[in-house]
Amino acid sequence: MRARILAILAYTGAGLTLVVAACVPFFLMGAFSGLVAHAGLHIDATYSGGTIARTIQRNNYRIVVYQPVQPRMLERIEPFVQIVFEPADSLPAHVSDEVDLDGDGRPDVRVSFTVPANASVKLRGDVTALNGKYVSFAHVADESFSRMVVRTGNQIVVRVPLNKDVAGR
Amino acid sequence: MASRSSALVRPAAFRSVGRSVLLTLPIALWSLVMFTPSLRQAGRDSHIGAVVVMLFMTTLFFLMMRTGETYRWRRIFFVALGFLFPFGFIAALVVQRGTMSIPISRMVSGDTPFCFMVTPSIILPAAFARTIIFPGSILPTASNHASIAIMIGLWFALTLVLGKAWCSYACFFGGIEEGFAAIAKRRRLHRFVTKYGHILRLIPWAILVFVVLVSAAIFEPVYCMWLCPFKAVTEFPAVRNVETAIQMGIFVALFIGLVVVLPFLTKKRTQCGFFCPFGAFQSLFNKIHLFEIRFDREKCVDCALCQTSCPTVALSKESIREGKTLLNCMKCGACVDACKKDAAVWHLKGTPVAVKPERARLLFLYGAWAMATMFGGSILANSVATMLHWLPWK
Repeated sequence: MRARILAILAYTGAGLTLVVAACVPFFLMGAFSGLVAHAGLHIDATYSGGTIARTIQRNNYRIVVYQPVQPRMLERIEPFVQIVFEPADSLPAHVSDEVDLDGDGRPDVRVSFTVPANASVKLRGDVTALNGKYVSFAHVADESFSRMVVRTGNQIVVRVPLNKDVAGR
Repeated sequence: MASRSSALVRPAAFRSVGRSVLLTLPIALWSLVMFTPSLRQAGRDSHIGAVVVMLFMTTLFFLMMRTGETYRWRRIFFVALGFLFPFGFIAALVVQRGTMSIPISRMVSGDTPFCFMVTPSIILPAAFARTIIFPGSILPTASNHASIAIMIGLWFALTLVLGKAWCSYACFFGGIEEGFAAIAKRRRLHRFVTKYGHILRLIPWAILVFVVLVSAAIFEPVYCMWLCPFKAVTEFPAVRNVETAIQMGIFVALFIGLVVVLPFLTKKRTQCGFFCPFGAFQSLFNKIHLFEIRFDREKCVDCALCQTSCPTVALSKESIREGKTLLNCMKCGACVDACKKDAAVWHLKGTPVAVKPERARLLFLYGAWAMATMFGGSILANSVATMLHWLPWK
């Protein structure tokens, strides 16, 4: 009797597996993708740049300033702040902008780069720290996740390293 | 119906043509449904790709029905998938960005296609920090269709049907080594593999634990950044400093060693059996999957043909004696095809062993082949269309 019940359950399970297989492309795949999409997950700040702190409006473009990204316990990245200049096609040929990163009303860094006419040409830029909280760099393109001046679509993404001694306090 | 052993002494057939055609009809219909969107697309190359793959998948299933052999025909599909996937993928990368390497700018903008191999690495950070440690996008974008939600949804849905059989019916990497393993006539290093098999098959578990814990500790997809042999034939972080140059060196060395040379020498899937942490992770689903391979101890003569034929060393003398496979069995069917005594059989858990094994095989194969056609088939069709598009005389 037990063997018979087990066999009935097994064949029912096998039948259900076939039903599931038939549902995968039409329903299940989308349902599971929807669950992942609505699970409240986000891409790690190392890649996404973190959350937006505020936006500074200039004449033809805007500067989006992000919250500082601090490495977690054993994370290998340097702390950094992401700044996005957008839209890239409205930027002047040469950008040299003083940006207030911490929202205290005083500029923290001067960012300068030349926007190449051809979007596929590698971008390089300089960042000059105007106080001890940030780290200057010169002629940088995509050296690391904490130190970069790159074009992504119609945006110029700049990442300014934070001075570890100050950032850690 | 002739006995299975007679099917192995070709050319005797396992089933009549008529019955085989009838059993193939559901898969033919499924293929038609799966490839109808491609047939509706504009472009002759897509149409040809869809029709060729539709016929390919249906014919292979027919041959499985007609001959009673599984591994032999599945391998043709799987090797085609393994070799054509990188072709279509690289072609798409070259068209999109002009290179196989992925620059930081693409990672920052979330343009990295998500690969299911990363799945175990992202679980702990996702569970405890709600963070995905992968430079992709959660939802699909215009420049990244293989988003994290889409790929995880697809993987989970396929895993419900396939379990560990993912590794022999869906993984688009395993076919490369299966191809290299099929080339050599002679099996070398056989004694070494048999003697140390019990240790070798533990390595993927060790790598899985290492990768999961270290990824969670340093918030980086460690396998993806340092250990994936298939980066060499898909995409890899652009070489921009010593660290990325070392990463590239590791990818190429692992690919040549584990995917080309060792499979050629041993006729085993060495990367899958002795290295792949995702494969180890998929093995856990064997605990809940309904289908398995069992051994009829009354028929078994302990010839070890099944053990020799197993591509991932998922059989040991002890396991055969107990009439079972090990946890890492991927249900490729190699042992069943190799057994001359009909002792290795397909089995549905909960039913008596070796009673109606062909029914269990059919129930498994319908689900597995349907998923193979949907997932691998669409990759093959896309790659065939790409090849046609790039024909020199066009």
